[in-house]
Amino acid sequence: MIPTVSASGLRLAHGGVRALDDVSLRLGEGVTGLLGPNGAGKTTLLRVLATALPPDRGALTVLGHDPSGPAGRQEVRRALGYLPQTPGFHPDFTSFAFVDHVAILKEMTDRAARHREVRRVLDAVDLRDVRGTRIRRLSGGMRQRVALAAALVGDPGFLVLDEPTVGLDPEQRMRFRELIATAGEGRTVLLSTHQTEDVAVLCNRVVVMAAGRVRFEGTPAELTARAAGRVWSSAERDPGARACWRTGTGAFRNVGDPPGGAELVEPTLEDGYLLTLDAPAVVETTS
Amino acid sequence: MSTRTGVRPVPAVAGTERRRWAAVFALARFEARELMLQIPVFVFFLAHLAHTVWKLATPEGEDAHPVLQDVDRATQTMPTLPALALLICVNAAVGRSRRHRTDEQFGVLAMEPWRRTVAHLLSAVPFALLTALIVAAEVVRAVSAPGAVGRLSPGELVVGPLTVLLFGVVGALIGRLTRFAPAAVLAAVVGSYILGVTVASALGGPRWMRWLAPVVPEDAGDPLPSDLLGRPAGWHALYLLGLTLLLCCVAVLAGGARSRLLTAAAAGSAVLTLTGAVGQSAGDPSALVAARVTASATPEKVQTCVRHDGSTYCAFPEWAGRTAEWADTVRRVRALAGGAAADTALTVRQRVEARRGPGQDSALAPASTPGQVSVGARWGGTRVPEFAVAVASVLVTGDEETGASVCDGRVVTTMWLALGTAADPMAELRRVRLDDDVSGGSVVHTPTEPLLISAPQTTVVRELLQRPRHRVAADVRAHWDELTAPGTSTARVAELLGVPLPGRPGDNVCGA
Repeated sequence: MIPTVSASGLRLAHGGVRALDDVSLRLGEGVTGLLGPNGAGKTTLLRVLATALPPDRGALTVLGHDPSGPAGRQEVRRALGYLPQTPGFHPDFTSFAFVDHVAILKEMTDRAARHREVRRVLDAVDLRDVRGTRIRRLSGGMRQRVALAAALVGDPGFLVLDEPTVGLDPEQRMRFRELIATAGEGRTVLLSTHQTEDVAVLCNRVVVMAAGRVRFEGTPAELTARAAGRVWSSAERDPGARACWRTGTGAFRNVGDPPGGAELVEPTLEDGYLLTLDAPAVVETTS
Repeated sequence: MSTRTGVRPVPAVAGTERRRWAAVFALARFEARELMLQIPVFVFFLAHLAHTVWKLATPEGEDAHPVLQDVDRATQTMPTLPALALLICVNAAVGRSRRHRTDEQFGVLAMEPWRRTVAHLLSAVPFALLTALIVAAEVVRAVSAPGAVGRLSPGELVVGPLTVLLFGVVGALIGRLTRFAPAAVLAAVVGSYILGVTVASALGGPRWMRWLAPVVPEDAGDPLPSDLLGRPAGWHALYLLGLTLLLCCVAVLAGGARSRLLTAAAAGSAVLTLTGAVGQSAGDPSALVAARVTASATPEKVQTCVRHDGSTYCAFPEWAGRTAEWADTVRRVRALAGGAAADTALTVRQRVEARRGPGQDSALAPASTPGQVSVGARWGGTRVPEFAVAVASVLVTGDEETGASVCDGRVVTTMWLALGTAADPMAELRRVRLDDDVSGGSVVHTPTEPLLISAPQTTVVRELLQRPRHRVAADVRAHWDELTAPGTSTARVAELLGVPLPGRPGDNVCGA
């Protein structure tokens, strides 16, 4: 099966800093989470995959097209939905006009079909009742859903979402999870996030980046499994732990290399993520 | 997603070039609709439309007798304000993504920036068409007026719509080339215009510089025969069209497009612009200058004359259809005259002062030829009583030159003859006077030199106009010789016509 995205040896430098350093990955259908600390290169990678930035080196195909040339880039863009980290809005537009504008820029020319599609995506993100409301009157969560609707319009085969749940309250995040999960049915979604729990509940694949390199690529279960036997509970803070915090029960949860006889506990995806970041900087992927 | 909504998704499909252009037109329609919702555009276009509708619905006196070569020019100035609003709003639309930081997410959408620029340029077209419709309405109304004379120039008529289009294109171009806020753009445009006007004035307003502006109204002064205007309307339309196309090409190039066709189009537009600019800069040809002198000094050489009721009416060919209305006024005035004046054959001659070209407010000197009455190029409204005063003045004094210097009681006779048969004499008296009043001394308009009327004369005229016409007419005929004799005082005229004159009798001071 041809992957939606196939990247090999991507490199990109910003002001002398390697934002992407020999990044290779393959993305298929479903939701893939992209985890990494600030400055890891997540947003740069998303922008490269969304054709907003060209890589300095490396090979990339998206949906079977090479975006390095104008024709291939056009084809990629036609099948792409992109929600940047801080999406902009035209506050005087209604939510319908904003998404319609995006649909036109995606070169959807049949007016009736386009309007049907705009209504469909606005319904899908539960904005049916505010179609005619100017964006300046919408709440932050509603605006974020307008941006998602704009990314979804035209039924893109590849959806790139850069931290879409930042700034949302828990209820809005729950709703967004539902939307993203639905969006991942039958298409490829790449979701950049700092929320490991989002990845745990949404993604069938996960990529961990640090310092411009891919540290892990696999399933959430595989990332979680990396912490198997390396998380333990103790009554006191264990000075040998790489990470340690007091839980709600009063006991300390420790992550790292446990001492002999430690009371091991079930690891989470976050434990696996922490240990992956802490591991030596080598590309280590599983499939 | 489709399961949730029950609606099948509509994918963005790979497009042929034709489909891609269809998307550009769809975006142009979208942007045009957004422009129409912008307050400045909406208000100014609505104001233009309302002003035109109001003008068409409430025609003033002269509107029923339009001179078509002035009507076409009159359509050019009003669209400038909506055009300026369009410039600002198109500029704001082009910079919208930058201002609201949607560049990043919109930057990866399929339509390239240069196509978006084309759409912004096209979004100004509906407003140019709207302006063209408004202009067309004005023209149809003028052409269908029963008293219309003259000839329309297509070159003049396209200036309004082309100005609107040009301003929209300038807005898009500035948006592509700079990151100025729309307010700064407005300030820059207005500032440049003021600077241009200042420089043009400082340089004595050379023709080539004046005609670089989109609109060169020259709407002051009286109408001239169309062949004496000497306005390079065709060249100017070519210049505007070329400039609009050239700026479109530059905007699309600034949007990132690169093609030989576009480069060739830019070069072709530059040639058009230059050709138009050179063509419109040429001075008046010597034949035109000579024709203007002839029309001003010896109009009889180029006029055609017709006879009505024994009098001769000579007009420039374009005004030939208006002689019957002049004859009607002469008939009305002469009907009140007595003595030989009732049968005097007059020569009504249309006169213009064309030597300085159009747009110059030049007064006509009164004619010294006995029995000749001057009439201008305008008609209707106050022009009718003004002409009636001129006719009456010649009937009373013999010629215009003498009539212009009369200050004695003959002023009363002249004014009563002129206004005595009017449907509303007091209203006509008010309209024909400079001060729009019916008391006191004032200046009375005529097609040439104004007539001065004193306060006592006004009092007598007002009293006469309020009396039954047939009674006054009988007295006028009975005392015609004395009423029209030089030196007859106002007091004596009042006495002859049975009007008690308050204040100092015998006051013959002009206009006192």
